[in-house]
Amino acid sequence: MKLEIRDLRVSFGGHPVASVPELAVDGGEIVGLAGESGSGKSMTILAVLGLAQTAGATVTGSVRLDGQELAGLSGVRLRAIRGARIAAIFQSPSLAFNPVFRVGAIVSRALRQHGLSAAQARERADAAMRSVLLSPDLLGRYPAQLSGGQLQRVAIALALALRAEVLLADEPTSALDVTVQAEVLELLRELRDSRGMAVLFVSHDLAVIAELCDRVAVMRAGQVVEQGPTGQVLAAPRHDYTRELLAAVPRLRN
Amino acid sequence: MADDIVLDVRDLRVNFGPVRAVDGVSLAISRGPFGVALVGESGSGKTTVGRALLRLVPAAGGTIAFEGQDVLALRGPQLRAYRRAVQIVFQDADNSLDPRMRIGATIGEVLAAHGLADHGLAGRGLAGRGLAGRGLAGHRKAGRGAVGDQVAALLAEAALDPALASRYPHQLSGGQRQRVAIARALAVGPRLLILDEPTSALDVTAQARILALVRRLRDERQLACLLITHNLAIIPGLCEQMVVLYLGRVAEAGPAGELLARPAHPYTLALRSAVPEVDAAARRSRIILPGDTPHAATLPPGCPFHPRCPLVVEICRTSVPQPRTVAPGRQVACHRADEVLSGLRPPGAPAQLAGEP
Amino acid sequence: MTALLRKSPLITAGGVIALLIVLVALAAPLIAPYPPDAIHPEMALQAPSLHHLFGTDQVGRDVFSRVIYGARVSPLVALLVLLFACAVGIPLGVLAGYFGGAGDEVIMRVTDVFLAFPSLLLALAFAAVLPPSLTSLTIAITITWWPWYARLARGQAASVAGRPYVEACRALGIPSWRILLRHVLPNSVTPVIVQVSLDFGGVILTASALSFLGLGAQDPTPDWGLMVAEGENYFTTQWWLVTFPGLAILVTALAFTLLGDGLRDVLDPRRVVLR
Repeated sequence: MKLEIRDLRVSFGGHPVASVPELAVDGGEIVGLAGESGSGKSMTILAVLGLAQTAGATVTGSVRLDGQELAGLSGVRLRAIRGARIAAIFQSPSLAFNPVFRVGAIVSRALRQHGLSAAQARERADAAMRSVLLSPDLLGRYPAQLSGGQLQRVAIALALALRAEVLLADEPTSALDVTVQAEVLELLRELRDSRGMAVLFVSHDLAVIAELCDRVAVMRAGQVVEQGPTGQVLAAPRHDYTRELLAAVPRLRN
Repeated sequence: MADDIVLDVRDLRVNFGPVRAVDGVSLAISRGPFGVALVGESGSGKTTVGRALLRLVPAAGGTIAFEGQDVLALRGPQLRAYRRAVQIVFQDADNSLDPRMRIGATIGEVLAAHGLADHGLAGRGLAGRGLAGRGLAGHRKAGRGAVGDQVAALLAEAALDPALASRYPHQLSGGQRQRVAIARALAVGPRLLILDEPTSALDVTAQARILALVRRLRDERQLACLLITHNLAIIPGLCEQMVVLYLGRVAEAGPAGELLARPAHPYTLALRSAVPEVDAAARRSRIILPGDTPHAATLPPGCPFHPRCPLVVEICRTSVPQPRTVAPGRQVACHRADEVLSGLRPPGAPAQLAGEP
Repeated sequence: MTALLRKSPLITAGGVIALLIVLVALAAPLIAPYPPDAIHPEMALQAPSLHHLFGTDQVGRDVFSRVIYGARVSPLVALLVLLFACAVGIPLGVLAGYFGGAGDEVIMRVTDVFLAFPSLLLALAFAAVLPPSLTSLTIAITITWWPWYARLARGQAASVAGRPYVEACRALGIPSWRILLRHVLPNSVTPVIVQVSLDFGGVILTASALSFLGLGAQDPTPDWGLMVAEGENYFTTQWWLVTFPGLAILVTALAFTLLGDGLRDVLDPRRVVLR
């Protein structure tokens, strides 16, 4: 398994906010983390990245990347892994890009941070942009000149350029138009299929999870209540909460 | 049929500087209980239409007629009366309530502003609605009890615990705040309720509750509703008619069920195919539209949708399609509408949308 | 409210000290051991002792008593200045910010003119044309101070005017005057209040500067700023002339600043600050 989470517990000042006994994502699969606000799903992502600790949370448990334990790694080692091997995209792509810099500058800085030369960075960035069906010219624009969907794709391009093996996606399409969302989801599917990426996809939208994810874990109030292959969990939910969530999803066909 | 129409919008235009945010939109809403969905993505102008209907933004052209009255010409007390008859629930429930005011005060304020606050006179047998409801009692300090009862009744109608009246907005959940906004809108007894993306900012369970509430209120209060949304999935069960907007223009309009089952515009087709479905049986193959929604400031010549349209032909690039009737009750603005209606699909997409009868 | 104060020792300390200062000012005749203007040249420039806790000044007046009586002067001037500046600045600012348009332009250009000058210089100019007294001082400083608050209020009001809940009020048919009074004003006032508490010390210093130049408080008024100015030349040897009035200014400004901080938290129901 590419990414293995075991007994992960995140708490703030004694209050537990997320508890994941077991969750694994393999290369070439998309695992969904479903839940509403306050379920702890976003916290889980931050804990895997080692960012929850920076925010003051207490994190215990094990997070392994290709068997290597990430919990307890020093800041320097963690930073080397963050981005290069585990990349993350969030709901508000505009927050990830400093508005005073051109998008390309931010991308190349990240790439050079991980040891690439300027020329290499340029090449990788251009190739990555093309992979996400964006013209490399867009790298010369400022974040404000790009739409939400475009920015999100640039964020994914960055993950690709860094040759990340794992992609953590926290509600990446919630703020996007539905047609743009369809594009981004298609892109994620491609990453899974052609690049063998391991994707952990967090969302409150069960329909999106149903369409995209191979396996799913349902979280509620910081606990994982059910997990398994998506088709199975959604067709035959075992936990009441999963049933409740399913019942609440608006359906186009009545 | 004409008597039944309570809101008649013809050729509405709204500009923000050089940008034609709303560029000739027409729609009609019948007397309640009735629902019309105004569908579109960012840049479609749907939110602007809602705000223009409430006179929150100035209209640059077109007419809006509410129960026969010219809305754009209303002033003073007539405008206030209009704002009792037509109300709106905004998308951003978190910010549509004053964070410094308690819930009860927020709702009570609306009652007081329209002279609808009940100061307890009616309870003491003094005249009927005439004295107690109108301005006579308007300037006196509100009898806490009577107005409090009104507020409590409204909160209860919106499926909220009346005890919440003493809380502040930040102490409520997103779903509860949205319901307070609904209760507030109902306070004036509107006949037309505009809901601007009422569920976008909410969790799916809160969403379901809000939709159920709106459905109930629609029937109980005989409301005419205008549902502004980009989420097609919430339309069934609430709206009889549907209008699809793209870049400020109407792409197509007609009965909601019809449009969703048999779209006549390539954009509606793509929109519908993009909606993710939980049930595997309902899934269909995607029509992926290239590029992002262009900005209304840079309208291309010809059909505004042509740069992204999978069924584009030469005429689309030069001639702006006008809305025309392709079937009873269905207007479409597309040169190939008849073909799409008859089943034309983009190359690669299956001849039938999976799950279609 | 008391619960909030209890949660933060700093704010409580500030509030308590501010209260103390007010009490001292009110009870001055009862607390001060000597009259503040009793001159005893033979006792001039005595170091702090049991008889004269803060020593005596160059004409033999008890510094301790003068500092106590001073609590009546500087803070009162500052209070009046800030009150009037708010009374003029806030309404103008809020109206300008909410309605915008021509009125906004006019008011903003007027404030521009005032703000173009260094406040001290401007206050000086005004004070110079008026007969020197505390009243003139108050008027002069008020005139130079209100534009800041007008600006602050206007900025806030403009931002609040665009907020969804204000738009919702308009959509609900609530009249403008009501929106202004119940929504815009309360939500615009917070930054001004914070600024006011921070300005307290600043006004006292401006007042002392003007008093020093002879344009404000006149001798024998026990104004702290004036006392500092008067003791300036003796600073290296008779340190008590400057130190105690100076400390009084420091403590007062600090106390009211903390109080203002606490006021802001209390006024904003959303912000619960856990210190």
